[in-house]
Amino acid sequence: MRFFQPLSQYGFTRLLAETRTRTHLSPGIIAIEKPDEQKGYSAFFNTILPPSYSSLKEPFTLNWIIPENKKEKALTNSFNLPFQPFYSATVNSELSERDFETYTNNFLGLEDIEKQIYILPIDFIESSYLDLVLKSDVSFITLLGLNRIFNNQRKLADTLVNLKEKIPPDIAIYLSGAVSPAYFSFLIYLGIDFFDNSLAYKISKNGYFAQEDKLYPINNHPRCFCRYCSEKDPDLLGHNELVMKNEIAKIRFALEEGTIRELVEKDIHRSVTFAATLKHLDKNYSDSFSQRTPVISSSKLKCIGEESLYNPSILEYRQRIRTRFKPQMYKKIILLLPCSAKKPYSFSRSHIQFRTAIKKAGKRVFSALSEIIITSPLSVVPRELENIYPPRFYDIPVAGIWSEEEISITSELLLDVLSQFPKESIIINHMHGHGYEQIIENIREKSSLEIIDTSAEKSPTSPESLKKLSEVLTSINPRLGAHEISSTPSRISNLKTVADYQFGNDTGDILFSNNIKIKGKYPKNLQVFRDKKLIATVSSKTGFLSILPDVAQEIVDKTLVKLEFGAEYVSGSNIYAPGCIHADETIHPDDEIFIINNNQVIATARALVSGFDMNKMTSGSLAEVKKKLKVKK
Amino acid sequence: MKINPVLSSIIREIRQKSLEEREHSRKIVSWVEDHRLITGAGKALVLILPTKGCSWALSGSGGCSICGYIYDNPQQPNYDDMLISFKEILNQKIEKNLKYSLKLFTSGSFLDLKEVPLEIQKEMMREAAKYDQIEEIVLESRPEYITESVLDNIAQNIEINKIEIAIGLESANDNILQNSINKGFFWNDFVKAVTKIQSIGARVKTYLLFKPPFISEYDSIVDILESTSKVIELGVKTISINAMSIHRGTFLSELFEKKMYRTPWLWSLLHLCREIKKEYPDIRLICDIVAGGSERGAHNCGKCDKEIISILKEFTLNQDRKILDEEINCSCKTEWKSFIFDERISNSELLDIY
Repeated sequence: MRFFQPLSQYGFTRLLAETRTRTHLSPGIIAIEKPDEQKGYSAFFNTILPPSYSSLKEPFTLNWIIPENKKEKALTNSFNLPFQPFYSATVNSELSERDFETYTNNFLGLEDIEKQIYILPIDFIESSYLDLVLKSDVSFITLLGLNRIFNNQRKLADTLVNLKEKIPPDIAIYLSGAVSPAYFSFLIYLGIDFFDNSLAYKISKNGYFAQEDKLYPINNHPRCFCRYCSEKDPDLLGHNELVMKNEIAKIRFALEEGTIRELVEKDIHRSVTFAATLKHLDKNYSDSFSQRTPVISSSKLKCIGEESLYNPSILEYRQRIRTRFKPQMYKKIILLLPCSAKKPYSFSRSHIQFRTAIKKAGKRVFSALSEIIITSPLSVVPRELENIYPPRFYDIPVAGIWSEEEISITSELLLDVLSQFPKESIIINHMHGHGYEQIIENIREKSSLEIIDTSAEKSPTSPESLKKLSEVLTSINPRLGAHEISSTPSRISNLKTVADYQFGNDTGDILFSNNIKIKGKYPKNLQVFRDKKLIATVSSKTGFLSILPDVAQEIVDKTLVKLEFGAEYVSGSNIYAPGCIHADETIHPDDEIFIINNNQVIATARALVSGFDMNKMTSGSLAEVKKKLKVKK
Repeated sequence: MKINPVLSSIIREIRQKSLEEREHSRKIVSWVEDHRLITGAGKALVLILPTKGCSWALSGSGGCSICGYIYDNPQQPNYDDMLISFKEILNQKIEKNLKYSLKLFTSGSFLDLKEVPLEIQKEMMREAAKYDQIEEIVLESRPEYITESVLDNIAQNIEINKIEIAIGLESANDNILQNSINKGFFWNDFVKAVTKIQSIGARVKTYLLFKPPFISEYDSIVDILESTSKVIELGVKTISINAMSIHRGTFLSELFEKKMYRTPWLWSLLHLCREIKKEYPDIRLICDIVAGGSERGAHNCGKCDKEIISILKEFTLNQDRKILDEEINCSCKTEWKSFIFDERISNSELLDIY
């Protein structure tokens, strides 16, 4: 059984806790000797620096800082460093390869492998010997040699993604050595779990005074008013430790809040290498990150820099719009609207004005209308999805200037969405401004649909434009032909679209047919009744659905969020790794998933990690059970 | 097998390139310095004999990974000149009212007949025996040349209790001897040699090497402490801790130039002397520092180097523990602590990301 358990995941970043006590340990800092103050450290080495005759017999151990009252329940309280490779991998490949093999073989022969520290030089990430180690219960790996590739963004990204793809999320990675806290968030984003405080010790001639975003030379640092610097004899070691601890605290906070990516986008500006590395990651490894990024969330998504275009949450959103958004067949007018600062859009002044203008054209037109909001970095937001994450939660600095990249990404997605509509559909372009014009230009070039501009001259909210919108819509009415007014109220068709987005194509139509009633009002969760029976709730926080296990059964063949369980019923409130036979690799952390046995949904649950990682974990909890199927006795 | 064939072939390649540049003949180099004898303060007369050099270094094994002394030996020694010059130096430098330790070094093994033939060994001992002022004679040798016949030859020509044979054991750990230093012998070979020396009535001095390649400073501190204990258990009373310095033309030098090796910290040496002298107050502990304070020798941050080197020098001369007890502080002390930790964990691959 491994010592760690991921409690949440965002890309390769995760919150790791002790498996049994669930004490949060990572991301964290390890003290290289027993610290005066344990607070703020995850663990400490028991090293006596330097070793003496009296310490010779003591093993080299890493002691975890677990609260007293939980210590007994914990799997173990300390790890051991039994031995290491002898030759550094850079010495000579013939020497080090054989040495690494011997080392690994000896390591695998140890007892209690979950308590042993394994040392992995990056040169051997591809080694088949590493695979043997990963199949064991090893819980803690120290990575060596990363410094050699630190200024090579391409190699750094390749190496770490490669490694993290291999390593299950319940194995912690420790990067020892003097690492500036300025880079913690980015390295954690790349999957490093632990650092140590050795940088804090570098306070001599060529040493450093740490600030969270920068290191100052020791003799030329700014004044600081922390308690260590305020002492008569300033304690620089204490100051440096404090800065490192606070930086970790900030990152843990962002992780729990689900805003780690935004923090990383901000922090990479501290280093040109890392800024370039992030670009490389986003370009080449977006899948690895999006697969492990929550789709369901309710945290604010600040999209400030151009990196946000490739935020894994946003990539996944665009991917699902492309593959899962299917307009209802009776929608033949596509109204393109600009976004608004206020979310959801319909609560904004501008969108209220649009709605009023649309309604003037009458119910028949309204029910044939598909509203699509064009925005960056999400590109395309169908009105039906404006209440979910990320459309309801993103924020951008509005300057009205679109970059080439934004224009091309948005145009491509819009073209894909438009291709889902019937051939005779009409596009009404109620947008204004250079960026929007460019997008429409691209659409005109590549789509055969008719486009009518209603806001070309003046802003969309100007009386002239609004009037034109009403007039154009009214004039289209006769062209709709023998169109019947849809009997499905828009709230229900919204639910269908959300279900498809969340669970997979066609699931909305299956779930929300027959006599559907929606009860409840914001801020309460909505309750969905079908033929007077409660079948689902809609979270007012996230806009996403929770459905009951017996209802989930109806869509079990269509969904991509199944976990096949090894028993006929679920006992307890967690799904543990040994019980998982197979999980859909399309599961994202925090997803509402269906626990199935023999193709029967036996429970619904909230995923802690991605489906990929569920299949890799050998111990620990994979998901928290929400509802179990009631078995009639 | 006492060598690691891969390591040995790497060393041999480096050695062969550097050996070609050696000179053909040289003179004896000699000097007199202050020295602590068993009977008290005196002088040491040091002679470096220009033999053809260490047979181990010249062998197919490539010799030790860290040693470049061989490059100072000539390719062709002239024993007649050497003997004449030896006698002259003794005659010139030995003063009447002083006592001396005569140190005969070859940068190899004095007892190796390929370096110093039996006849020459005999002549030199006879000559030294003429001087009453010479109370001690130190001869260096690898264990394999310490045979009964060679020892008998010496005993027949000089009082054997004057003789101290210095062996460069470097470490009592066979793994270090084999995979770091390429020493070519093991702890057991050393034990056998020590027994032979002691049984004939001579003394043994042992060199231990602080921080050979691939051994972190932390692990090397542990190794020196453990090796010291083992050596002392054999009855050896003089131990010299040699801090690693970088010799050109060696494997270590290549590692150093690739920034894969840092020479030891003076803090570690100070700590070692304190620990050992506290644990074994009666032994003679020598800590000579070559190239101290420079990048290629043991060094600290530059600010406190001189002070620590002079303390270690004084201690070596006086063997007084109190000299070591003096509190020394420098801001690089915490850096040293983190260094020995980092290097221990990172297998000598230090991670610094500023």
